[in-house]
Amino acid sequence: MILQVVKRDGRRVDYDIQRIEDALFKAQAQTQQRGLKADFDVSRMASWVEEHLSKDKPELEIEIIQDTVEKTLREKHQDDCAKVYAMYRNERSKQREIRGSLMKALEQLTFQDEGSVKRENANIDGNTAMGMMLQYGSQASKRFAAHFLLRPEHAELHDSGAIHIHDLDFYAMGTLTCCQIDLVKLFENGFSTGQGSLREPQDIQSYAALAAIAIQSNQNDQHGGQSIPAFDVAMALGVRKTFRTIIREMGELLEHLSDAERDILNQIELEDKDSMLDPKLSRLINKALLKTERRTYQAMEALIHNLNTMHSRAGAQVPFSSLNFGTDVSVAGRMVSEQLLKAQEAGLGNGETPIFPILIFKVKEGINFNPGDVNYDLFRLALRVSAKRLFPNFSFLDASFNQVYYQAGKVETEVTYMGCRTRVLGNRCGEAQVNGRGNLSFTTINLVRLGIEHKGDWTAFDEMLDLRLNQVLNQLLTRKAYQARKQVKNFPFLMGQGIWRSSDGLKREDYIESVLNEGTLSIGFIGLAECLVAMMGQHHGACKDAQRQGLRIVQKMYDFCEVKSIELNLNITLLATPAEGLAGRFTQLDRKRYGVLPGVTDLEYYTNSFHVPVHYKCSIVDKLNIEGPYHAITPAGHISYVEIDGDPAQNVDAMEDIVRLMRSTNIGYGSINHPLDHDPVCGYRGVIDGDRCPQCGREEDAVGFQRIRRITGYLVGSLERFNPAKRAEVEARVKHGTTR
Amino acid sequence: MSNTVRLADRTAFSSVDGAGLRTVIWFQGCVHRCKGCHNPSTHDLHGGEQFEISAVLNWIRSLHWKKVTFSGGDPFLQAEALYALVSALKQEGYDIWVYTGYTLDQIKKDSNMVKCLNHIDVLVDGPYISELKNPNLKFRGSSNQKIHYLTKMP
Repeated sequence: MILQVVKRDGRRVDYDIQRIEDALFKAQAQTQQRGLKADFDVSRMASWVEEHLSKDKPELEIEIIQDTVEKTLREKHQDDCAKVYAMYRNERSKQREIRGSLMKALEQLTFQDEGSVKRENANIDGNTAMGMMLQYGSQASKRFAAHFLLRPEHAELHDSGAIHIHDLDFYAMGTLTCCQIDLVKLFENGFSTGQGSLREPQDIQSYAALAAIAIQSNQNDQHGGQSIPAFDVAMALGVRKTFRTIIREMGELLEHLSDAERDILNQIELEDKDSMLDPKLSRLINKALLKTERRTYQAMEALIHNLNTMHSRAGAQVPFSSLNFGTDVSVAGRMVSEQLLKAQEAGLGNGETPIFPILIFKVKEGINFNPGDVNYDLFRLALRVSAKRLFPNFSFLDASFNQVYYQAGKVETEVTYMGCRTRVLGNRCGEAQVNGRGNLSFTTINLVRLGIEHKGDWTAFDEMLDLRLNQVLNQLLTRKAYQARKQVKNFPFLMGQGIWRSSDGLKREDYIESVLNEGTLSIGFIGLAECLVAMMGQHHGACKDAQRQGLRIVQKMYDFCEVKSIELNLNITLLATPAEGLAGRFTQLDRKRYGVLPGVTDLEYYTNSFHVPVHYKCSIVDKLNIEGPYHAITPAGHISYVEIDGDPAQNVDAMEDIVRLMRSTNIGYGSINHPLDHDPVCGYRGVIDGDRCPQCGREEDAVGFQRIRRITGYLVGSLERFNPAKRAEVEARVKHGTTR
Repeated sequence: MSNTVRLADRTAFSSVDGAGLRTVIWFQGCVHRCKGCHNPSTHDLHGGEQFEISAVLNWIRSLHWKKVTFSGGDPFLQAEALYALVSALKQEGYDIWVYTGYTLDQIKKDSNMVKCLNHIDVLVDGPYISELKNPNLKFRGSSNQKIHYLTKMP
């Protein structure tokens, strides 16, 4: 006699034939609904099932009972109904699986300290309560999106590792990736964060504070980075107001001034400071200037502190902030750039290197690049600070593909980058300018897999790449259609405060569909190097033929984007994908499929986009010459890194030489990596080889050394928070400065 | 006059051997034997490899980079070869640094060595003394070593 049934989760319930009858009844109804045969008596069928069940066991597993139902139906010539019943079982078990895998992921987050789930993103601290909460949510929404929002074919491509749909956990929210915020426009009439309104700021300290608030507020409406295109120009307005206030106050306080002198002080502006010939007034103006400079420094210092400490996303993460600057030649604009750099150089409270904001110095001939240019001094200062603090990075307004958009006097035509590399400038659906625009979403193609599968056969490779490009485009368009159904109220700052281009015309309930087209849809790629090794045995760093093929592949993807942009009248752009979280996933999946292939799947990670593999030895010039041509055909974003050893703070000329080499190889965005170690005990800053400080000679003990490295464009303190694939990548990096 | 030079190695675009990025030619052979030398493999006078001077010059030129450093080893131990290299490169407008374990005074007293000085922009002189080591020094290891700007101050 059967007494109990064991369910899948191990719980036991009393056996009841009625449950078998219920299942049979449902299966019969479903089958008949489809117009198929299911002519049997439910209770008789149930008793036949019962006869088949082994009677001598006191308990039975549910799976066995279900198997028996299916078998009995077939025996009694109810094949259609047996099929429907089996389908229903499959569907149920798939759903159970979804729930099960989610629970497994949550279990990992909860009980395991190691592993890469917690560290998918180097900037989220998964150890904190809010960080963990965020990751629970992320795991659930990622799975929900995969099973209920993605088209099954896209989900399949993603799961198998043929492509990677980025930020899947934000798919359901319909967020757009990132935005370039025009602070000038935002501040003009004040703005509201949703919690309260802010008036137009009146001095540099409020300008800087509100800049941080704007970045933070917008970050809560997006999952990608926040970039300020011309930070110096925006903040200069505040500097001028501060100068005005200071000099007017001086005029009021000094009693021995004549009315004429008072008038002058009431009217003079910062930009006219050198027009004053009267020595007495000139002295006053210089005092006011120094005070203004001091306040500007404090404002920049506070901004950097704010951006490293103010949390977004439920307190688990600081905003991904980037500031582009360096081309404003006005007195106030120069003051902003200089003080920002000096505040960056000084570092945080204990002299730590700031992780944010990512500073991006815009290099432009005739403005700051050459000796004699007005802002050349700022360029040198930027080099010095970068040598010490890893930021700023350098963007090149004269790179051919950036230069075509540049119009003197229109700062919004100067290329803007986001920390991780994103670039949004060209525009089929409006003006080619940077303000209020950003990426909608991006998806990356696993080039390595194509290489492994078509080893040596370029015709087959090209066909498959074409297919992949179309699949990805399709997926991006599907996501865009989903995003389009979101409303202004879903993004109260980005859309509600008119940050996103043309959104100021929309009302709270409006759909955002009408303003999406000025954003970009980007197709990314990863592992060009390993793809080439798989196809032809060599990567593009080591072999000229491979470089030719590499350029051909990327050009082909670029052309696809261009053609489709015209066809669909959208901004579809090719991205040199940064590899956070992805670097290891593709490799693991491919290794499972194809095994360990030397030079292809034998490391923990795939090489970023078009980069020369980090472990390959070549000189700075070779690396830049090889990577340079790819910048022009990856308009959605690109970056080239140069790794040097030693402490470049002692060799700023070398920094300048490297930046000049970047310029001469037509790089759009470049960055110089060097070891940045710090002994908090003696204060030494530079390279610490091994575990002994070269200055005070102490060995690393309970008080550890601070070691900062750059990862996917972001700085990360010590190596602990890297995911395993990225850590392996950092450890394999070869310096280009001493290559022999 | 010798047409060859004994070298330990060469480096393209170093960021730690003088101001800016520099091509570095490492001479083989050294007699100073400083304690804590970071290139002890360059001491053996018969180690390394013999190169035609013209080949070395062509390699340097092939990099299209006009900053070069001679280090070692001690370049002044092969003063004739060093002279051939620096005099040719100086004529082509190269910016030239040389590292040596001799002091500038010692070099000035040696008729072979001294004639190189006219073709060198910057000389970093003196033996490495590990007791005087300081990691914060620019372009040198110990504080007794001096940077002599022979052509112009930076």
